[in-house]
Amino acid sequence: MSPEQTSLLQGTLDLLILKSLRAGEMHGLGISRRVQQITGGTFVVKPGSLFPALHRMEEEGWITAFWGESENNRRAKFYRLSKPGMKQLEAETKRWGRISLAIGQALETS
Amino acid sequence: MPLVAKARSFLRNLFFTRRVDADLEREVQSHLEILIEEKMRAGMAAAEARRAARIEMGGIEQVKEQVRQKRMGNWVHSVLSDCRYGFRQLRKNLGTTAVMIFTLALAIGASTAIFSVVYGVLLRPLPYADAHRIMAVFEVTSKGETSRLADPNFDDFRDQNRSFQALAKYDENVTSVSGGAQPTRATVAQVSPQFLRVFGVQPMRGRDFSEDDAKKGASRTVLVSYGYWRQNLGAPTDFSQSHLRIDGAEYSVIGVSPEGFRFPAGVDLWLAADVDGEGQSRTSHNYSAVGRLRDGVTMEQAKQDISAIARRIHDTSSEQGDFLLKDGMVLPLQDSITGPARLPLLVLLGAVGFLLLVACANVANLLLAQASVRERELAIRSVLGAARGRLIRQFLTEAFLLCVVGGGLGVLGAFWGVAGLVALAPGNLPRLESVSINIPVLVFAVLLSTAVAAGLGAFTAVRATAGDLRQGLAEGGRGETGSRRSQRVGQIIVATQIAITLVLVVGAGLLGRSLLKVLEVNPGFRVDKIVTMDVSLPWVEDPQGKAGHAIFYADLIARLKQIPGVRKVGAASALPMAEGGLADGMFLVLTQNEVPKTLDGLSALSQQKERAGIADFCAASDGYFQALGIPLQRGRIFDESDGANSPHVAVISESLARERWPNQDPIGHTIEFGNMDGDLRLLTIVGIVGDTHEYSLDTPPRPTVYVNLLQRPSPAITVAMLSDADTQSVTSAARGILRELNPEIPARFETFSQVYSASLRPRSFNVILIGFFGIAALLLATAGVFGVMAYAVNRRTREIGVRVALGASTGHVLRLVLGEGLRTICMGVAVGIASALALTRTLESLLFDVTADDPLTFGGVTLFLAGVALLACYIPARRATKVDPMVALRYE
Repeated sequence: MSPEQTSLLQGTLDLLILKSLRAGEMHGLGISRRVQQITGGTFVVKPGSLFPALHRMEEEGWITAFWGESENNRRAKFYRLSKPGMKQLEAETKRWGRISLAIGQALETS
Repeated sequence: MPLVAKARSFLRNLFFTRRVDADLEREVQSHLEILIEEKMRAGMAAAEARRAARIEMGGIEQVKEQVRQKRMGNWVHSVLSDCRYGFRQLRKNLGTTAVMIFTLALAIGASTAIFSVVYGVLLRPLPYADAHRIMAVFEVTSKGETSRLADPNFDDFRDQNRSFQALAKYDENVTSVSGGAQPTRATVAQVSPQFLRVFGVQPMRGRDFSEDDAKKGASRTVLVSYGYWRQNLGAPTDFSQSHLRIDGAEYSVIGVSPEGFRFPAGVDLWLAADVDGEGQSRTSHNYSAVGRLRDGVTMEQAKQDISAIARRIHDTSSEQGDFLLKDGMVLPLQDSITGPARLPLLVLLGAVGFLLLVACANVANLLLAQASVRERELAIRSVLGAARGRLIRQFLTEAFLLCVVGGGLGVLGAFWGVAGLVALAPGNLPRLESVSINIPVLVFAVLLSTAVAAGLGAFTAVRATAGDLRQGLAEGGRGETGSRRSQRVGQIIVATQIAITLVLVVGAGLLGRSLLKVLEVNPGFRVDKIVTMDVSLPWVEDPQGKAGHAIFYADLIARLKQIPGVRKVGAASALPMAEGGLADGMFLVLTQNEVPKTLDGLSALSQQKERAGIADFCAASDGYFQALGIPLQRGRIFDESDGANSPHVAVISESLARERWPNQDPIGHTIEFGNMDGDLRLLTIVGIVGDTHEYSLDTPPRPTVYVNLLQRPSPAITVAMLSDADTQSVTSAARGILRELNPEIPARFETFSQVYSASLRPRSFNVILIGFFGIAALLLATAGVFGVMAYAVNRRTREIGVRVALGASTGHVLRLVLGEGLRTICMGVAVGIASALALTRTLESLLFDVTADDPLTFGGVTLFLAGVALLACYIPARRATKVDPMVALRYE
């Protein structure tokens, strides 16, 4: 694993998963690859963090799970964004925007 | 919406754990397989792809565990798993667990049962609206004792106070009532009009007393209890025609009290007092008084108010003397009812508390012993990353499991125990009817069990997880240091147990010795083979009426003598030890020409103290002394010559003769005692009889004047029949005779030994219960000593083996082990004696002829307890001497 891979900030993982699922339903590995892809390889989500997060978010009602077929006709568990999940994504996006702006400003001031 | 989803997940996680887990397993598997496929597509060989995928995946079990921990409701699972684990632990040591549960059940059950009595009698509010505002009002005598009220004093209290919204007087007595379904003996209270208002009670039917009902010459009125209305009157809705004959006079029923209202206890009928006019004397204390405080007035203010009125009466009254009030007193009614029962009950509560402590100590010791066996397991769990908090929670969980089961069984036992207590309790224990296992008592049991569980759990957990647990592993699981430390704790616990048990057994011993001393007291009368019959006739004041009573009594006694098997028959206004007892008063030594014409004249004379004397007044027939075996010491008893018209005679008790006529012969002296029964004729003393303990064996005999029942008949008598025939046949024959003489008069039968043993019950009740707690504590403490010693010997088997192998003799080993036990016992005994000396002082007023530091009891109990404890040490010590060095050295 490259040393550049950053450990995820608290709360960031949820945002990235929600964002990935925005594109459509996906299974666990798909989500993991998608996060890696959209962050340009900076974040790699390991199963040890991914699955607890997915199950927790499912219990929160942000995503729903169902069994389906993978590209190679394997049975896999898929996840899909729900309506509360959409709302959560919007709220988290806004929050993150504010935080990154604030951190950016803070770092620019000398 | 999300809330519903959450609840659904929570329930699913809780109840379909297996299905949820299987789903997770499949998901993780499929994840792994897709990962492998991906690697193979990227060109890896199958085996290599599998390896790479596994590395990327991490530990599958860990992943699953992480998901599980994040799941909603995970804590329920972890508590349940603690419980499951706890159950397994407890089941593994089934014998020990059973002993612990039984011990806890006994202690919690006993505590709950005793608390239910304490609650029902002392704590539970009286069943009236705002019961805490109801006060009992007293006069205070010149000696500082509280006493009942004289009529004019009560009137002043009622009219002059600013503290009470209602103030009423009452007096109760047992009398014959006819006019209902059948003639009955009923407890009747004479009350003043505001009586019901004091209790915040209104008649459920009819009307309350009005002020007019209590005026002199008003028509006689009665309120009946709900029960009496239903059972004896047939529950009429219109009782304008209902009349009752009470004490020979006609009363019209004006109302029915609400169900459950019976104050004073057991009363069925309330009569308007003072219809025949009020007493004029300020020194005849004929009534009790109760009042309801005005809103905003405190008891203290009311007390000052009443006190001021009382002192004003004292300063201005013409009737100066010892019997005139000096002050007033106000007490909460509840305290005044339960006052005498307070100390014995609190002593019982303390005793059962001690038992609980001893029981908890035993369980704590057993838990500690188990915990030290588990040192290795705790060490492993701790090494594997279990936090100390998690381990402590495990111990707490186990203690809670024990206490839930033990407490549950204890409460079940308490239901049975309370029934037993109520059956065993002395009749004079007030408010016994309100004792039951009710919600507050159950709350107490739950709180007690929880506290015991928390205490035991925390104690074992902290002891067991203290220090560096990992050392347990380093020592190869022998845990020598740990066990030495926990043994010290064990010994301290056992010493405490011995100390507490000693206090308890000394207390039981003191009370037991008091009971024995009381039983040694010669009551001054015979108890066995006597059947008693209570009879009451209407109250009369005119000489004709009294003569009629005398003839009736003479007839009755003569006919009762004819019953086959009956040897002696006598009657008196009250038998010794009976409820109510005799009234006391002041008599005067007068000569014939000094006899006053009226009662007022008498009270003027009573200022001359040198002529006065105080004695109980008893009207008795001549046969009474023979039936009860009261010995004649000098002179004669009443006989045929003492007719209604011959001079009235009296017999006095030995102690009165000694006190009033020291160095003189009282026989021939004449006394005036007309203030007791309204007959002013002089009494000539003709004989002296032995003393009797009239009230109880533990109070000294009271000086008594006996007048002739056939000259001075009292309206209520108890007939004593000494007979060789069985009680049943005597009773039915006597009942038949009474019915033939007058069918309107009901009677109550008892055997005198019933009456007599009832008088001993307050004492024996305490002895039985505290003795029981003492024995239970003794057994528990013995088991504790034995357990700790056996455990210590077990732990030191190897060491003892080495000693024996190196040449230690049997005696040496015995001394070694016993010495340790002896130290513990001595420590416990020393602390116990010191605490007992401090604590038994509270028992002082319950003791009789035994001091609170009675050396015999202390010495005996100490020797006995130390002996039993030493024996409990000796058995394990003996086993230690049998240790085979070869076996011991191989022990591991």
